[in-house]
Amino acid sequence: MYKLLRKELKLSASPLSYLFIAFGLMTLIPGYPILVGAFFISFGIFQSYQTAREANDILYSALLPISKADVVRSKFAFSIFIEMCGFSVMTITTVLRMTLLADSVVYRSNPLMNANLIFLGFALLIFGCFNAIFICGFFKTAYSYGKPFILYIFVAFIIIGIAETLHHIPGLEALNAFGFENIILQLTGLISGALLYVLFTFIALKKSIKRFEVVDL
Amino acid sequence: MNIAEIRNLSKRYPSFNLKDISFSLEKGRIAGFIGRNGAGKTTTIKCMLNLVHPDSGEISYFGLPLKDNESEIKQRIGYSNGTINYYPRKKLSDIIAVTKSFYSNWDDVACYEYLKLFNLDLNKTPSELSEGMKVKVNLLLALSHRAEILILDEPTSGLDPFSRDELLEIFLMLKERGTAIFFSTHITSDLEKCADDIIYIHNGKLIASLPVKEFMKDLGQSGETLEETMLRIERSLRNV
Repeated sequence: MYKLLRKELKLSASPLSYLFIAFGLMTLIPGYPILVGAFFISFGIFQSYQTAREANDILYSALLPISKADVVRSKFAFSIFIEMCGFSVMTITTVLRMTLLADSVVYRSNPLMNANLIFLGFALLIFGCFNAIFICGFFKTAYSYGKPFILYIFVAFIIIGIAETLHHIPGLEALNAFGFENIILQLTGLISGALLYVLFTFIALKKSIKRFEVVDL
Repeated sequence: MNIAEIRNLSKRYPSFNLKDISFSLEKGRIAGFIGRNGAGKTTTIKCMLNLVHPDSGEISYFGLPLKDNESEIKQRIGYSNGTINYYPRKKLSDIIAVTKSFYSNWDDVACYEYLKLFNLDLNKTPSELSEGMKVKVNLLLALSHRAEILILDEPTSGLDPFSRDELLEIFLMLKERGTAIFFSTHITSDLEKCADDIIYIHNGKLIASLPVKEFMKDLGQSGETLEETMLRIERSLRNV
């Protein structure tokens, strides 16, 4: 798997995939729908699919002495790597907002979603949807990426909309907890997001392998 | 000794059918794969590399079915497509370094020799190379891991006569070492220089798979060159 990831990082990846990891810092912007940062990170990964298609990357990979399933695994490994880099930036900035900046006036008076563990859970859900909708959709043809990306944009922004709305509903204010308030609820949100991410990614990987196996290149 | 066996290969497309193609490739022999544009040469080659799934038929290398032994077989075969170029904006040194890591038999000395022979600059990217030089990059990748069989789709297209001649010399040298070479081409003079066998397809059907001498004896007419024979057969099949 190391060789496959190295191939992705050295040959297939667009520099924008690395650059867009920095969108994790959007977590610090007050008065901004910060979950959009997760979308931008996945948009960076999408750029690599464009670059890879122009470079005949799938054909090159399929000709290497590896199975077709490994070609799919390498794409997932790269996406998970970038997602986890972005998630790490989001986690560091979220912890900063939960501790040192917990009482900051600009964040306290922010009507939009607060950076807490529930926010991180939603970010993982968005990454999981990227893997399940975009990557899995791409491997239907191993060529066409337009339709699956448009579908993913639609779903990602519905999730962002739901996340931004929920804490305004009476009784659900606790979702917008500051610092370590309602920590059990926050942890539940994070763990739920993580479980959905793992589940979506695992199902997407299995389905993508099956789809790519029957694609004629 | 058969290195590759293709048996009853068929693939159906809406406007084209590859029908019941069978031939074998032997160790230390050069087989030329000929036929008009659209005859099914690239489809056959893609099936032989598991890039296209045949509707029926069997493909095996070294006595092992391709379907169940893809990774192991691909370690021992080399493939080059004359027209496709990979990673146009990456340096050749990076492409070679990554490719090398996947092959247990990668030969650095051979790679260096081909780099010198093909006059390739490691610091250049494929986008900075002419079409002919891109063909050479693909050949370099196919030749540097001591493949026991080379499958080459139009490897001489775009090459200048001198480079073509050099490449044919390499084919003959590899043949002496026991490598089987299977290459498609439209340049029949290349086949006359080095091929031992001719595999000829027309409109998805195998017309002949014979040693060159037998091919000319069975299908050629007195005084004809391979190209003249091929042209006559194509004309007669068109009129059928």
